[in-house]
Amino acid sequence: MATLNPEPFGKPTLLLASLLLKDTNDTTFASNGLLDTEPSGGCEEENASSEQSPSWTARADGIGSTGDDESSAFTSNRLLGGPTQTTSQTSSTLLSVLGSDFFDSQTLVGSTFTQTSDLLSDIGYAGPSIRATTFEGKPVFIKKKAQTDRTKKRTATAGKATGLLDVPLHRLMDELAVSASDPSRNTQITLESVSSPSSKVHGELWVDRYRPQQYTDLLGDDRVHREVMAWVKEWDYCVFGKSKGKQKVTEDGQYFDEYRRPREKLLLISGPPGLGKTTLAHVVAKQAGYKVFEINASDARSGAVVDDRIRPALESGAAIGSSKPVLVVVDEIDGATGAGDSSAGFIQKFIALTQDNPKMKRQKNDKSERRPLLRPIICICNDLYASSLTKLRAHARIIRLARAADVHLVKRLRDICERERLRADSRALTALVGIAQGDLRGCLNTLQFLKRRGVEVTEVVVRKATHGMKEADASQISVLNDLFCPLQRKRVKDLGMTEEEESRYVGRLARTIESTGAPDKVALGCFEHYPNLNKHDSTFVKYSKAIEWLGNYDLLSNGMRSEREYGLMNYLPYMIVPFYPLFQERGAQKVERPKADWENYTKTKAHEEIYKSLSKCLRSACAREAGCFRHLLSERILQLELSPYINRIISPPLRPVNSQIIKPEEKAVLNRLVDLMVALDLRFVQDKTEDGSVVYRLDPPVDVFVTYDGKRSSDIAISRYAIRQLVANEIDARVSPRQVDGVSTGRPGRKSLFGKRLREEPTEEGLSSVVSDSRNKRQKVGGKIDIADRPPTDFFGRPIAVKPVSKPASKIGLNKTTSQAPVVSYKFNEGNSAAVRKAVKVSSFL
Amino acid sequence: MSLWVDKYRPKTLDELSYHEGLTTRLRSLANSGDFPHLLVYGPSGAGKKTRISCVLRELFGKSVERLKIDQRVFLTPSKRKLDVNIVQSNFHIELTPSDVGNYDRVVIQDLLKEIAQTQQVDLSAKQRFKVVVINEADLLSRDAQAALRRTMEKYMSNLRIILCANSTSRLIAPIKSRCLLVRVAAPSLEEIQAVLQQVAKNVGFDLPPEASEKIAEESNGNLRKAMLVLETLKMQSKDLNSPLLTIPKPDWESYCHKVADLIMSEQTPAKVMEVRGKFYELLSHCIPPTVILKTVADRLVDKMDESLKADVMYWAAFYERRMRIGNKKIFHLEAWVVKVMSLYKVMCTSIY
Repeated sequence: MATLNPEPFGKPTLLLASLLLKDTNDTTFASNGLLDTEPSGGCEEENASSEQSPSWTARADGIGSTGDDESSAFTSNRLLGGPTQTTSQTSSTLLSVLGSDFFDSQTLVGSTFTQTSDLLSDIGYAGPSIRATTFEGKPVFIKKKAQTDRTKKRTATAGKATGLLDVPLHRLMDELAVSASDPSRNTQITLESVSSPSSKVHGELWVDRYRPQQYTDLLGDDRVHREVMAWVKEWDYCVFGKSKGKQKVTEDGQYFDEYRRPREKLLLISGPPGLGKTTLAHVVAKQAGYKVFEINASDARSGAVVDDRIRPALESGAAIGSSKPVLVVVDEIDGATGAGDSSAGFIQKFIALTQDNPKMKRQKNDKSERRPLLRPIICICNDLYASSLTKLRAHARIIRLARAADVHLVKRLRDICERERLRADSRALTALVGIAQGDLRGCLNTLQFLKRRGVEVTEVVVRKATHGMKEADASQISVLNDLFCPLQRKRVKDLGMTEEEESRYVGRLARTIESTGAPDKVALGCFEHYPNLNKHDSTFVKYSKAIEWLGNYDLLSNGMRSEREYGLMNYLPYMIVPFYPLFQERGAQKVERPKADWENYTKTKAHEEIYKSLSKCLRSACAREAGCFRHLLSERILQLELSPYINRIISPPLRPVNSQIIKPEEKAVLNRLVDLMVALDLRFVQDKTEDGSVVYRLDPPVDVFVTYDGKRSSDIAISRYAIRQLVANEIDARVSPRQVDGVSTGRPGRKSLFGKRLREEPTEEGLSSVVSDSRNKRQKVGGKIDIADRPPTDFFGRPIAVKPVSKPASKIGLNKTTSQAPVVSYKFNEGNSAAVRKAVKVSSFL
Repeated sequence: MSLWVDKYRPKTLDELSYHEGLTTRLRSLANSGDFPHLLVYGPSGAGKKTRISCVLRELFGKSVERLKIDQRVFLTPSKRKLDVNIVQSNFHIELTPSDVGNYDRVVIQDLLKEIAQTQQVDLSAKQRFKVVVINEADLLSRDAQAALRRTMEKYMSNLRIILCANSTSRLIAPIKSRCLLVRVAAPSLEEIQAVLQQVAKNVGFDLPPEASEKIAEESNGNLRKAMLVLETLKMQSKDLNSPLLTIPKPDWESYCHKVADLIMSEQTPAKVMEVRGKFYELLSHCIPPTVILKTVADRLVDKMDESLKADVMYWAAFYERRMRIGNKKIFHLEAWVVKVMSLYKVMCTSIY
């Protein structure tokens, strides 16, 4: 006895039912004839001969026939016979009855069923099989028939060619069933299948009607399409749990993602309008088995959209009302907000969304926890270099869509014209494509428009109809190229310009410049490009004129901005147009994107920051030293006088030797250097370079102000590592007691004033004032011990192990008075503790 | 620890070393009991601020040197916050409103009114008024200067203003007429040398007269610069007696000279590009474009043929003005360079 695994059986039954339903439309119902047994002959032959009958019908046939042959209690026979009389029976009842009866019959006639399977294999089924188990536990494989009807084959092979058949077979069949029952859809499936233009709906755009529905219908560079598809397929492992996606990941080698997602979680398709970016995204998504969820410019695109719409869609994993996984398409993303740094912007949130990683430790009830991105996202934009996309570009795989070859475009247009019974000569179509610069949408719209007017499409008509089309859209780069090169011959021909029209450049160029919307950038581009051109110009007149125009441009634009007279905006482009007569040259080198100005801007900003930190240092020094540096604080003085000289002052030519064996005059220099650096809050900070070597860096890095073109002036001694280390140690030794002082009084300003006096004139009234100063007895003890002798301590008061280098620097005066005294030291643990502080006499320790 | 330029800065009027006549006038002003608003002007490094602080000392005594350094926050009408650093004692306050650019008006209005409307409460104070020192007054916007006008008259009993500026040309006439103008001229070579010698004596080393002369020459009448140079030389342990002693120039200055040499060397578009790169480098180091233009032009004039000198300077002035009106400084700097190159080329071709 054999039993069938109910699991694998579930699907076929369903399929069978659906097929039955489908076939109700056909007059030749295969099983119909079979069960009537009138057409005689073996049922197998019948099956083999009838191409139309789908495989599962055939199988049912098999079962039915065996039932007949064996004449046992195979009730399905009766069942299948049923529908022959009542073909209108609904699928649901069919399904239920079929299912239940099948399982009934299994128990009864297991052995017969094995026979059935034999029979089935005889018929010649191929392809994926259904697994069944006999009662003995012997697995039985029931093969499906590979050969299906023609429509099915088409999609199947289309899928196979790219390895893309991800939609289960039964679903494809479902769709076919639906489409078969709905004849009106026939017209719009594919171009090939369009047969009856008479049935078209008026008011439908041709663009929509002839939109490619399948991957194979796409027009353009096949490689780009495949690239998009490949990226989508890389998600397969993550989305479908299939092993297909694996290959790519292992190929990548080092990249590993725990969800096996591709490295870039976004795909950014860019290209001029009308090339079919949106269509490409939709077709690929559909082909790969996704349901598209689209956000475009008609939706609000603030940061909230990401949280409110995209995230839920992604997290639910599947689109509403569909079992397919969702694929998000964000159309026209270059218009999104969030170019700035505000974290609420669309782009910012969007990037955050893709970068979310699950936390390692899952905290319970943590609502803010973000789930990782598990579904692909495709973004579409026109201008890849839009400012809003700057941040996004780093996280996305970028695909540029170029215009398809004109030949293909013309061919497609001609096909459509034929189908629409529009007479068009190919010259006209070529001209149209040329004018539209590959914009298929524009071409189709124009054609439809011409059709409605009922005119024949000739070149003249096309030129008339497309007057002004496409001129209004240009990128900065193309405008710049237009400025420096005359129009290409081909383009002139495309636009059908006469010689005279071509020579009138002012209006044309001004319009294109205006259309970029950023004349400033065009001006900058001109500025950066014009000296690269090597014009023969003995007296420099041309260059002089060119820069003069730029100067005027700047004056006008600045005047316009400061006076808020934006009506002048229209005149700005005319200040740039003169570059054309001055420099235009056929075959001139391509203009590059201007960048020097931006680099300069960022560099200036960085340097301004350093000036700010330097003036902050000066200010705090000023506060400590009773207004010492305040006269140097003015910006001008800082930039022009102080910064060059302070760099020289802090880099004296010291020899890198141990500070104990240093010569007295060098010692004096070192002391002064350390004093100054401490006063000005300049430090040498240990840092690592890219190659891993340790260096001492000046902080704040004021040395950039004496570094021009990456070189320092020759009269500044190069301060080497050893010297910087020496100085850094000295500074540390000096600073740590100072910090302690600061903490103990809580009034750094006055305290250091006092401390300074102590250091400078300790022998005179300094000491007496110290004694008289009852504010801090501790200081007296500290003064006797010579603070610099104390080991430097870190923040917590623990001694730092310093190399013997850190011999005291400021013991010029102090040491004389304290050298004979017994060296007694105790350590007072300073800090922000609540400990009671008490003055203790040294005698109590002795 | 401070730089020599601060350490040996005169603290009282008596310690001032040059401009004797000015010193006596300032002293009698401070003692007259009828102290006016002052506008102190003169080139950079002449000693304006030193004199102002000396006058304050004369007015209020030693306690004016007890300084506090604060940061005040002002709110613009558009609710932007402005941080202004102020230095103040019990008797005076020093500020640089031009730091906040176009919003200096807000600072002037808020701060001055606040000070002007409070009377001196310290009974031991020598004067009944407070002094406000406004640095870089010539960089004040027109609005800010206008805001000063009425305040200066209305609150005369509580407040005196000392304006400190490089030149009076950018101050509006009503302000000038309300102040006593005090010009502090740059010290002469001898005066600078004398000060340098004095400092060297105080520090305790020997400064040969040749060296001090060189420094003084190089400093161009800027005493502050001279002091910084002196300290630099000393720190670098240069042999001051050597006849080969070179005075270190600020880096931006030598870089500007390089630019001038480039312009002279060859007049091609490639050179224009190179010069532009150098201008960008200077601008990115926050060197003001006017200073760049001036330094390069000075150097060019030194080297140029006699017949072109006037033209070079004329066009420098012309483009300097356009630079002030315009926004993109680099355009106008380059326009000047191209102009000079073209002039030079024309001259060269006319000779041969």
